[in-house]
Amino acid sequence: MIELREDSLHISFPEVHPDASMSVEFQRTLRIPDDGKTYPLPAGLGAFPCQHIDDHVQTVPTNWLKRGGIMLPMYQSEAMWINFSGSYISDRETCYPFAMKIAAGKINAVTGKQYKNKLKKAPQDYVVVPEQPWLDGYCVERGLIRQFVAMPLGDGYSAEEQITGEGEHGGLQIIVYPMKREVFEQRFPKIQHQELRDESMLLHSPMQNVYSCDATPDMGLAPGGRMKQEIYDDPFDFSDWDQANASRCFVHLANSLVWRQITGEDAPTVPPTSKEYANSDLPWFDYYGEATAVEGSKILNNLKSVATLGKQAGKNPLPENQSVTVDDIQLIRSRLSEDEVRDSQF
Amino acid sequence: MSFGSHVRLSREARLKSDRSYSVRQVAARIGVEPSYLSKVERDEQPPPSEQKIRRLAEELDEDVDVLLAMAGKVSEDLRHTIIKRPQLFAEMIRELQDMPDHAVLRLVREVRDGDW
Repeated sequence: MIELREDSLHISFPEVHPDASMSVEFQRTLRIPDDGKTYPLPAGLGAFPCQHIDDHVQTVPTNWLKRGGIMLPMYQSEAMWINFSGSYISDRETCYPFAMKIAAGKINAVTGKQYKNKLKKAPQDYVVVPEQPWLDGYCVERGLIRQFVAMPLGDGYSAEEQITGEGEHGGLQIIVYPMKREVFEQRFPKIQHQELRDESMLLHSPMQNVYSCDATPDMGLAPGGRMKQEIYDDPFDFSDWDQANASRCFVHLANSLVWRQITGEDAPTVPPTSKEYANSDLPWFDYYGEATAVEGSKILNNLKSVATLGKQAGKNPLPENQSVTVDDIQLIRSRLSEDEVRDSQF
Repeated sequence: MSFGSHVRLSREARLKSDRSYSVRQVAARIGVEPSYLSKVERDEQPPPSEQKIRRLAEELDEDVDVLLAMAGKVSEDLRHTIIKRPQLFAEMIRELQDMPDHAVLRLVREVRDGDW
């Protein structure tokens, strides 16, 4: 079951386990320069406002109604990252594990292949939550992604259009599978109170503090600037995942003008430029997880970035794309309780 | 409590601190005769039209759906929605009638997955 709570997708499987719940949030952020350099993680600038498609039956396009799900507004060339948050289960000292597939325009963001519902082990086409705290873009090499950048569907920039030659779907698609109940119970048994009190002084879940988790109507996500980010290997057995239970959601990306036509409300503030970001003294982040990372997709690595495609076409699709100097990088480590919150607000 | 009594109590509660909530002035603001509003409040007249009830709800800061329900009416937009898919909504409403509020709320806020 997926519910929309305060601009966050709350995903739960009460039929599998009472603790099987997690959240997904879509964060506004700086669009890093698409200049061939590799940048660290920019801060989150707050969640995109999300609304049910079904709350706007009269004004959304017919194909959006058919797909269901939610919608959020994005400006052209605005960037996004996706925050995953588990609910910490104190008497087991963990969050319930999930396997999650993320696609943009029905192109898998980890492998570059066409979206399919089922999980695939080799090459791994999903991320594991809570091991993976967030995803900022397409996995192009081991430890390297190209940032998700919103571009109008039909202009040819999106990964979907570059790979399939068509802009049919746009948006984001997610599907989540929980760990099997019996596997969870076995891997993460309840801890006695005395043990819990002693160990809680030393160890915290990596997710505990990360959670605080004429316009064409459709936008697609195109590959933007390069960013350092690992997509972690699945630390569990492939058979641990309960593929008989899944929840999925289509996230429609509405051009900011279309958003106003549909909802009667303006999209939130205009995204900041790199220069504004630097001037506001917001930090950059570097995340160190303990797990190994997946290799990266050759298909996605062969895609052309927005700036490259624009240059070839004699256009300038990314205003304010000048390189920036990164000087304030804060380290986030996966198993410390301090300094883990990447979110930041202007 | 009847529709008329509810409106009268709500209006009189505001009248205690604001003299503009007299029958005469409220009637003028929602576009009816004072004598008509007075009779509605005493249940000597049936509740007014949906449009007038909407203005009354706005005036008295009442929930329009609750006020319409007390008047035995269903708002126009809901009526259209139900008429579009009568069997589906009739079945759904019957299934929901005995569910507790929190369960209904959870159901209506669930994100619908469609065909993609």
